[in-house]
Amino acid sequence: MTSAFKSIRSGLPLLLAIAVLMGLFRIWVPQFLGAENLLDLAQQISVNAILAYGMTLVILIGGIDLSVGAVVALVGTVTVAGLAHHGVALGICAGFAMATLFGIINGVCAAGTRMPPFIITLATMLVARGVALRFNDGRPLAVPDAERFFLGLGNARLFGFLPVPVLLMLAAFTVTAVLLHRTRWGQHLYAIGGNREAARFTGIPLARNEVLVYVLCALLAGLAGMIHASQLYSAEPAAGQGFELNAIAAVVVGGTSFTGGIGSVRGTLIGAIVIGVLDKGLNQAGVHFSLQYIVKGLVILAAVYLDVRRRKQ
Amino acid sequence: MNPGSQAPTPLLELRGLGKRFGAVTALAEVNFELQAGEIHALLGENGAGKSTLIKILGGLHRPDAGVIRVAGQVVAIPDVAAADRLGIRLLHQELSLAPNLSVAENIFLGREPARFGFLDRGRLQIQAQALVTELGLPEIGPVAARVADLSVAQQQLVEIARALSARARILILDEPTASLSAAETSALFVKLRGLCRQGVGIIYISHRLEEIQQLAHRVTVLRDGRSIGTQISAELDQAALIHWMVGRDLAAHYPRPPWHPGAVALQVRNLRNAQVHDVSFDLHAGEILGFAGLVGAGRTELARALFGLDPLHAGEIRVGGLSVHFRCPGDALAAGIAFVPEDRKGAGLVMTASVAFNLALPWVREWIRGCVPNLRRRSQIVSRAVQNFGIKISDPEQAIGSLSGGNQQKVVVGKWMEHPPRILILDEPTRGVDVGAREEMFAILHRLVAQGMAIVLISSDLPEVMNLSHRLALYRSGRIVREVAAQDITPEAVMAELTRN
Repeated sequence: MTSAFKSIRSGLPLLLAIAVLMGLFRIWVPQFLGAENLLDLAQQISVNAILAYGMTLVILIGGIDLSVGAVVALVGTVTVAGLAHHGVALGICAGFAMATLFGIINGVCAAGTRMPPFIITLATMLVARGVALRFNDGRPLAVPDAERFFLGLGNARLFGFLPVPVLLMLAAFTVTAVLLHRTRWGQHLYAIGGNREAARFTGIPLARNEVLVYVLCALLAGLAGMIHASQLYSAEPAAGQGFELNAIAAVVVGGTSFTGGIGSVRGTLIGAIVIGVLDKGLNQAGVHFSLQYIVKGLVILAAVYLDVRRRKQ
Repeated sequence: MNPGSQAPTPLLELRGLGKRFGAVTALAEVNFELQAGEIHALLGENGAGKSTLIKILGGLHRPDAGVIRVAGQVVAIPDVAAADRLGIRLLHQELSLAPNLSVAENIFLGREPARFGFLDRGRLQIQAQALVTELGLPEIGPVAARVADLSVAQQQLVEIARALSARARILILDEPTASLSAAETSALFVKLRGLCRQGVGIIYISHRLEEIQQLAHRVTVLRDGRSIGTQISAELDQAALIHWMVGRDLAAHYPRPPWHPGAVALQVRNLRNAQVHDVSFDLHAGEILGFAGLVGAGRTELARALFGLDPLHAGEIRVGGLSVHFRCPGDALAAGIAFVPEDRKGAGLVMTASVAFNLALPWVREWIRGCVPNLRRRSQIVSRAVQNFGIKISDPEQAIGSLSGGNQQKVVVGKWMEHPPRILILDEPTRGVDVGAREEMFAILHRLVAQGMAIVLISSDLPEVMNLSHRLALYRSGRIVREVAAQDITPEAVMAELTRN
């Protein structure tokens, strides 16, 4: 599909940027390109990438979802509380049910009212955070050591080599990319994001599609929340602060237009890698964290500026 | 006045102007002159180079070749500010006012009177009022009113007042009457003639040939980026103008297709909602039913109700004899009704995407099954539409925004034709489309009607709707006031009916 082909071409400068960054960090940190370090990098990227896939779909249709960070914390708490009492299967189901609920609330409010998604999801972000803090009086819930499956989500390595979160990141990538680039639904999302009225006149049901996008975004946030809780060995009601902003950064660095209608999941994955490489590289190079923020901010600004300029031509 | 004779130094003179965009030559060689106090019409089909030319004058593009002289001096116009300094003011087709601000604030936008760095509202009002009076534009109304509350015609006058308050000597108007009624248009013309007498030079662009003959002193025709020539407009009749512009004769200007009505395709009975007041009509297969009316008569609202976009309060719609109830456009499309909206960019096309995306969008069901896109089927759908409708493209994946208005319009119509609908509603299908593309659109309608399609044609262009339709529904304030066979009524009678109170 055309949009996909275009995204490969438009991804090239970013891939180059990643290569340059990695080369630079290799100079400061000799072990930076070692296999173990790269796997570790991939593992650190996974949570943000999974959040960013969902965010891509939301931004593509002209929306925004600020609630994903809080949903990460809430789903982690619900899942861990659930599995402690009712077993891992029910715990995970309860976590995804909670995510779906928030997705539906966001989607129905965005599609059915004229409230701006920014405000809707700002409000649901607060609600989700509050609900998470109601559990266990806001204290972390430790994951029992016996929960090998759940702890495996964030920490295990397949064949003693491939981190499970990375596999989940790739699986989520495949699912989202197929949905967006190879199905009718994906075409409809591009149409809705590009021009809502034209989509309406073409007979595309707007509300249903919009709700589905927010639900998918929340489900991916739920998956990220479970991985995050597993990695921490506990559900932290205060976890996930600012995750939504990191996800948005990955999406826009990956070339998705904030006004909707243009973008790809592939680009977002590359964007998440750029941000991950920066985070890890600066960290390992011993750059003070205050400087890390500044560098990251400037890189995002530069990436989006170049993208906008390229598009204008 | 007689601007053609040995006039003094022209206010504006262009010699050998050229402009290329990559491999595309937008302007090959344009020669043009404008005298003070002259209205000079610029005529040409879409793609002839008119918009490139006026963008160069407005400081939005830079020419690659040629000379621009203003009052005899060779000038460069690198940006909009430079155009402002030279007194050149470009009034775009789409108005560029801030709707939330007042008339006075808009007129002095960017040049507000200030005292100690703070906005001086009192002086702003007084100066604006004085200016409006001086220019003789009382129709604008009170300068404290919000621009959003004004009619389009009044907003147009605000734009003109703003241009003149910045001491514009050269005014460029691009299709200023596109959304004006006949009365508003003639009021605007009176103002423009007044400005001429004050020595302002006006470059006037319009697709409406009648207007050009009424208004312009001289006409310059552009064809394929070249100025073909300049003539006194009083010496040309309309047929000669068209011939000159397209370089060929349009034998019959608006020929009516043969009328072979078939079975009743659409029956509408006592339709009512907030904007539609008890509308009933029949539409047959192989027939064009024209809805003639003034802008704002409520024809678009009727079409929206028929297409399931707005709810009905009462009434019945039958398609092919079956009673239908549409909750959304998807239902209407499933019943065989397609709607080509008036606002091409706002509602017809996905402007962020390619030509192919737009043409293939309605038929996603056919070329994607599950998660397996059939790209061969997709390009088949696309190339069929491109061929059947003569859409001029270099690559199906090119951005839809890079096409001319006429070609974009062909995409909006052509995207429905992979499986032609039984009933097609066209809302102002030739708006902002040049004469050549208009003729092609008529040929397309002829073909569709011959194939048995039933067409509802909404058009504010009276000659067009009268000559193209088999039957006319004269529409006023949400009602059909008269239904008549198109050959049985004169334009004067239609106009009289539409303007009656």
